[in-house]
Amino acid sequence: MLRFDNVTFSYPGSAPALEGVTFEVNDGEKVGLIGANGAGKSTLMKCVPGLLEASGTITVGGLAVNRENLAEVRRKVGYVLQDPDSQMFMPKVIDDMIFGPVNYGLSREEAEAGADRVLEDLGITRLRDRYNHRISGGEKRMAAIATVLAMGPDIMLMDEPSSSLDPRNRRALINTIKGLDRTMLIASHDLDMILDICSRVILLDGGKLIADGKAADILRDRELLEAHSLELPLSLSR
Amino acid sequence: MHMADALLAPAVAATMYVASSTAAGVSIHKLRKEEKLGLEDNSKRLPTMAVTAALVFAGQMINYTIPGTGSSGHLCGGMMLSAILGPFAGFLSMIAVLVIQCLFFADGGLMALGANVWNMAFYGCFVGYFLIYRPIMNSDLFASRGRDAANRIKLILASILGCVVTLQLGAGSVAVETTLSGISELPFGTFLGLMLPIHLAIGLVEGLITAAVLVFLYEARPELLREVKTEGEASGKLSLKSTLAVLAVIVVLVGGGLSLYASSNPDGLEWALFGNAEEGYAENMGLDEDDFGVSSDISDKAGEIQEATSFLPDYAFANDEENPLGTTVSGIVGSLIVACLAAVICFIGGFFRRKNAGRAA
Amino acid sequence: MDNAQRAMLDLRAMDELASMDSPYHRLSPLSKFLMTVVYIFITASFHKYDLTGLLFMVIFPLIGYQFAFIPVGTCFSKLRNVIPLVAAVGLLNPFFDRAPLFRIGSVNVSGGVVSMITLMLKGVFCLMASFLLMATTQIDDLCRALRKIHCPKMITSLILLTFRYTSVLLDQVSEMTQAYSLRAPGQKGIHISAWGTFLGQLLLRTMDRAEDLYEAMMLRGFSGEFHYAAGRQSSRLSWLAALITCGAVITARYINIPAFITSLFF
Repeated sequence: MLRFDNVTFSYPGSAPALEGVTFEVNDGEKVGLIGANGAGKSTLMKCVPGLLEASGTITVGGLAVNRENLAEVRRKVGYVLQDPDSQMFMPKVIDDMIFGPVNYGLSREEAEAGADRVLEDLGITRLRDRYNHRISGGEKRMAAIATVLAMGPDIMLMDEPSSSLDPRNRRALINTIKGLDRTMLIASHDLDMILDICSRVILLDGGKLIADGKAADILRDRELLEAHSLELPLSLSR
Repeated sequence: MHMADALLAPAVAATMYVASSTAAGVSIHKLRKEEKLGLEDNSKRLPTMAVTAALVFAGQMINYTIPGTGSSGHLCGGMMLSAILGPFAGFLSMIAVLVIQCLFFADGGLMALGANVWNMAFYGCFVGYFLIYRPIMNSDLFASRGRDAANRIKLILASILGCVVTLQLGAGSVAVETTLSGISELPFGTFLGLMLPIHLAIGLVEGLITAAVLVFLYEARPELLREVKTEGEASGKLSLKSTLAVLAVIVVLVGGGLSLYASSNPDGLEWALFGNAEEGYAENMGLDEDDFGVSSDISDKAGEIQEATSFLPDYAFANDEENPLGTTVSGIVGSLIVACLAAVICFIGGFFRRKNAGRAA
Repeated sequence: MDNAQRAMLDLRAMDELASMDSPYHRLSPLSKFLMTVVYIFITASFHKYDLTGLLFMVIFPLIGYQFAFIPVGTCFSKLRNVIPLVAAVGLLNPFFDRAPLFRIGSVNVSGGVVSMITLMLKGVFCLMASFLLMATTQIDDLCRALRKIHCPKMITSLILLTFRYTSVLLDQVSEMTQAYSLRAPGQKGIHISAWGTFLGQLLLRTMDRAEDLYEAMMLRGFSGEFHYAAGRQSSRLSWLAALITCGAVITARYINIPAFITSLFF
C-alpha cells in the first residue's frame, strides 16, 4: 500500500533529516512511527503527499510519488496535521469538510452528504455547523480527522493526534482511530496510544530507521528505547 | 484614528469608497499579473496574507493610548505588512483587518470604511512603501558601516519615517474629510493643528515598534523582508542624491503639515483649501449639496450667523417659521412623540421576547 | 483582563448572537446588508440642525432589534470604540457655533449645541444599525452576499481566512502578554525594549503557521476557489422587508414625521 524505498531528504544547508529509509506498510495495517524530537518523523510523513521532495521512491497504492501525479497521490493520502488550527481554515466545520471533496470535483450537495456520513460515523454530528474557532481542543482534533476522512483517503497519516488532549478526549480519540478501517501511519510520542492502536512500530533516530517490528516487542525493549531518548510506555513499565 | 460613520457626509464617504476600491482593484490586478508571470503563487500568498493580517489585528490589542486626547494609537500595521508582503498584498491584508474591526468591534463604521481604508491602509502601504521604504532600503546610505549595520539603520530610518509620514497623512485626511463633510465647526486649520501633533507622537511610537520588529526579523529571517539586500545581490539602484531628494520631499510634507499648527492665519488657509476644493468636489460629484444635507457652511458661515437667528435652514416645520416659540414647542413635542414610540416598540419587543423565552424554557 | 481577551469575548458574544434564530436573522444576508447601508447613508445625511427629523430615525433600528429578539442595550458596549473621536469633534462645536438657533423658555440654544447632539446621535444610530447587521448575520453568510454583488473573491476569501485566524492569534497574544506580565510585575504594557522580540517572535511563528496552512490547503486540492456549505435558508419576505424599510427610511429623510404629526395639533 505504502512503500518507502531508500528515502533520503535534507533541508537546505543541514545534515540529512532522512537517510535511506526503507519499509513498507501493508493494506489495512496501522503502523506507529516513534522517535525523539528531530528524529525525522514529521519529515518522513511530509514526503508522502509530496510536501517535501525526497530522493528515493515513495509508492502510494502502486503509484510512485512525483511532481506530475501529486493531485492523484494527495487524493489517496489523508494527512492530519499536528495543529488542528492550521488544518481547519474555513469558518465552520462543515465548510472545512466539503473543502477537499469539492476541490476534487464533487458537487456541493454530494460533498455535504458525504460529510454528514463521516460526522455520524465519528459521532460528532453536533459539530457540523459550529465555528472552528468556537469548539474545544478535543472537538477540534476530532473535526480535523473528520475533514480528512471526508476525502475518503486510502491511507491516513497522523502527526501527534493525541497531543494536548485530556484523558477522556484522548481515550475517545483512540477508540475512534481504532475503529477506522484504514491503512495508517501514526507519528507520536504517546507510546501508550501507539501500543493501544498499532500492531507494528517503526523507530527512527537521526533520520535513520533503527527498528521495525511488532509493537509489543519494540515497545517492551527498554534498552532500545532508552538508547534513542525514549521511555517504556507507562502500561509496560510496571 | 478610525472614523465613525457620523463624522462623514455620505458624498464624502462614497468618494472615499471609490478611491479605496480603485486602489484595491489595482492591487488585485497586480497580484494576478504577478501570478501569471509566475513570480508568486496567489494560493500560496493568501494564507500568508491572512495570518499576517490577523497578527496585525491581534498586535493592535497591545495598544498605547495618549492620555487626554481621546485618540488612541493603534499599530497601524500598513508599513509592517507591506515590508513583509509587498505593498499590494499588504494593502489587501489591511483591508481585511479594517473590515473585521468595523464589523465585529464597531471600530470605524460601515459607511466610513472607504475613508478608513484610505487613511490607514493606502498611505501606510503605498506611500510608505514606494516613497519611503523602498527608496531607503535600496539606497547606498550608511554603506560605509558595512552591509549589516547599514541594513539595520536603514530599516529603523524607514520604519520611523514611514510611520510618521503615513500617520500624518492619515490624520490630515481625517481632518479634511470631516471638514468637507461639514460635520465639525472647528476651523480646518485648528482641526489639523490638533490632529497632527497628536499623531506625530503616535507615529513616532509606532515607528519605533515597527522598527524593532523589522530589525528583529532582519536578524532572524532576513528573507522574509522585501527589498533587503543580503549577500550576493547587486547594490542599490538609487543614488544617495535621489534618496535625499525623496527625504526632502517628505520633510517638506511633514513640516508643512506641522506648520499649519503654528500658522497665525488658519482661516486664510481654510479658505484656500475649501473655497475651491468644495466647489470643485460638489461639481465633480454632480451633487446638489442640499440633497445630502451637507451644507458648505464654511463659505456660508458669514451669512449664516446672522441668518440663523431669524431663519433656520432645513429646519422647516409645518407651521410658522418666524415664530421661534412655536418651532421650539413643536420640536419638543415631536421629540416626545418619538420617545414614546420608541418606548412602546421596546416594550412590545420585550414582551414577545420574554414570552418566547418562556416557551423555550 | 487584557485587550486581547476582551476582544475574544467580544467576538464570541457576536457569534452567539448571530447564531440565534429570529425573523430578522432569517432575512437574506444581502437584503439585510443593503437595508443597513441605506439606513446608515440616509442617517448620516441629515442636516446638522435637523434634530427632530434625525430623532425619528431611531425607530428603525429599534424595530429591527425587536424582530431580532435582541435587547437594544446589547450594542451599547461597542460605543467605547465609536464615541472618542465623535465626542472629541462634537464637543468642540458649541465653542465655535454660538449663534442661537432657538429658545427653550428663556434659554438660547446655540447651533453648536444642536449640531453636537445630532452628531452624537448619528454616531449612536449608525452603530445600532451596523451592530444589528452583525448580530444577526454570520460572517460567511455576509461574505457570500458580498460575492453576489461582485466583491472580488480574493477579498472575501481573505476576510474569511483572516477572521478564522484572528481568534487563534488573539489567543496567542493574550497568552504571551500574560506570560510577560507574570515576569514583569508592575509594568502596564510591554516595555519598549521587548517590542521587537515580542511581536517578532509571534510573527515568525505566524509565518510558520502560514506554511502549514498552505500545505493543508494543497493537500486537499485547493485550486483557487473556496466553497462553502449551504447557509441558513432565507425568509421569502426578505426583499419585501428590505423594500419597505428602505422606502420608509427615505420617506423619513424627506418628511419630518414628528413635525408632521405635531402640525396636526398646532
